[in-house]
Amino acid sequence: MDPTGVSGARSNGGGATREATGLESLHLGDEFRQDNVGGGFTALLELPPTQAVKLLHFADSPSSSSQAATVTGIVPPLHHSYETLTFPSNSALLMERAARFSGETTTSSVPSTSSVKTEPADETNSSQAAVNNRSGKRKDSDKKTEILKKKKNKSSEENEKLPYVHVRARRGQATDSHSLAERARREKINARMKLLQELVPGCDKIQGTALVLDEIINHVQSLQRQVEMLSMRLASVNPRIDFNLDTILGSENGSLMDGSFSGTAMQVVWPHQVIETEQSYHQRQLQQPQQWPFDVLNQRAWGREEDQVHGNDSANLHPNQVKMEL
Amino acid sequence: MASADKPINTDVPEKDVFALHFLQSLSNLRRQNTFNSPEKTNDRVKKIKKAAYVSMARAAGGTSRLWSRALLRRAAKETNKVVRFSRRKKRVTWLRRRSNRRDPVEEEEKEAERLRNLVPGGGAMETSKLIEETAYYIKCLSMQVKVMQCLVDGLSPK
Repeated sequence: MDPTGVSGARSNGGGATREATGLESLHLGDEFRQDNVGGGFTALLELPPTQAVKLLHFADSPSSSSQAATVTGIVPPLHHSYETLTFPSNSALLMERAARFSGETTTSSVPSTSSVKTEPADETNSSQAAVNNRSGKRKDSDKKTEILKKKKNKSSEENEKLPYVHVRARRGQATDSHSLAERARREKINARMKLLQELVPGCDKIQGTALVLDEIINHVQSLQRQVEMLSMRLASVNPRIDFNLDTILGSENGSLMDGSFSGTAMQVVWPHQVIETEQSYHQRQLQQPQQWPFDVLNQRAWGREEDQVHGNDSANLHPNQVKMEL
Repeated sequence: MASADKPINTDVPEKDVFALHFLQSLSNLRRQNTFNSPEKTNDRVKKIKKAAYVSMARAAGGTSRLWSRALLRRAAKETNKVVRFSRRKKRVTWLRRRSNRRDPVEEEEKEAERLRNLVPGGGAMETSKLIEETAYYIKCLSMQVKVMQCLVDGLSPK
């Protein structure tokens, strides 16, 4: 068995059939598998003794859950990483390593993957250094005992020791570089989709990405339609309010700089400003000598606007002048 | 191989930034003499809508976001102005657009297609980026809607 064969892209190992005994052994090559038909013990012997002891300990300790089956891979002696072996029969003791298969997705994998997900959290702590992931091809024929988990974090922390990436693939998934990249991409997409779900109201309850996407698309469309409708309303309102716009813009200073910029505050304040007369407007301005962070920007902006509206309305010179003072 | 996801930043500027930009663009519009003629309301509506989008794009961070860039570019094309982007970003988006053409095979890509049609500049993004941009776009849109709603409420007759 050569390390290069073990790493990354391995060809699909055909329909490797599991032994009826439920023994699982990592393929390191077909011939190796056949050698290991008898059991994991021969593979155990290849490990350095300390590791073997660790493995044995580890094998005893984990709690029994009917579905947990551990995968172990056998590290070629060149590498100093640890590996756990799969032990037969006692499904509770074993952790499963990802195997490559061609078409053998078993239906029981789906419920089991989720239940096992909580397990690795415990087991990674307990067997930190002892468990390594290694990409390799495995055939899962034993539904009860095999569960695959994904441990990309483990692989990343071992990267500095080893020249290649150790990845634990999900059950029924390939482990070559393409599918790894694919899976990474998928994860990214799912993570962002979750973000979107929180954003769009009413998307948390929906399961399945298709429906969520539909909902999101509907939301975006409704928002765009709202913009359109509001712009129509604005257009209809606009010609009437030549003179009012200045007060709006002027009072904008005050309303914007009020403590909270929440929507309600804004809504409450704005109608208020419209009905203000110029007098009260002056007074309010003079009573609020606040230093606003926006000060410079506003000055510039309002100054500019003031020039523009000068032509339109001469009646509003006063508020404009007040604005200038700000 | 599995790169850690950098924290996705979807913070949108506060509402007053949006309000500021929108009001500025509105007052710009009013400066045009033909604006307040009561007949051509359709034109006015369109202009206001365009102003709304452009101001939103500017408020949301100018050319630092893909969709805002596409929006600004689209608007600028109509008015024959030139929008200046950094050259690197231009090249990247162009390449991405080309490589994105052949993808609608998967089920999920078809959905992404619809999203691409909605979000401006969607054709140039990869799916994961598209989703991120959509989140930001939704936030900005809702902010803009709030601003416009406030404005309309404030200006409508009591």
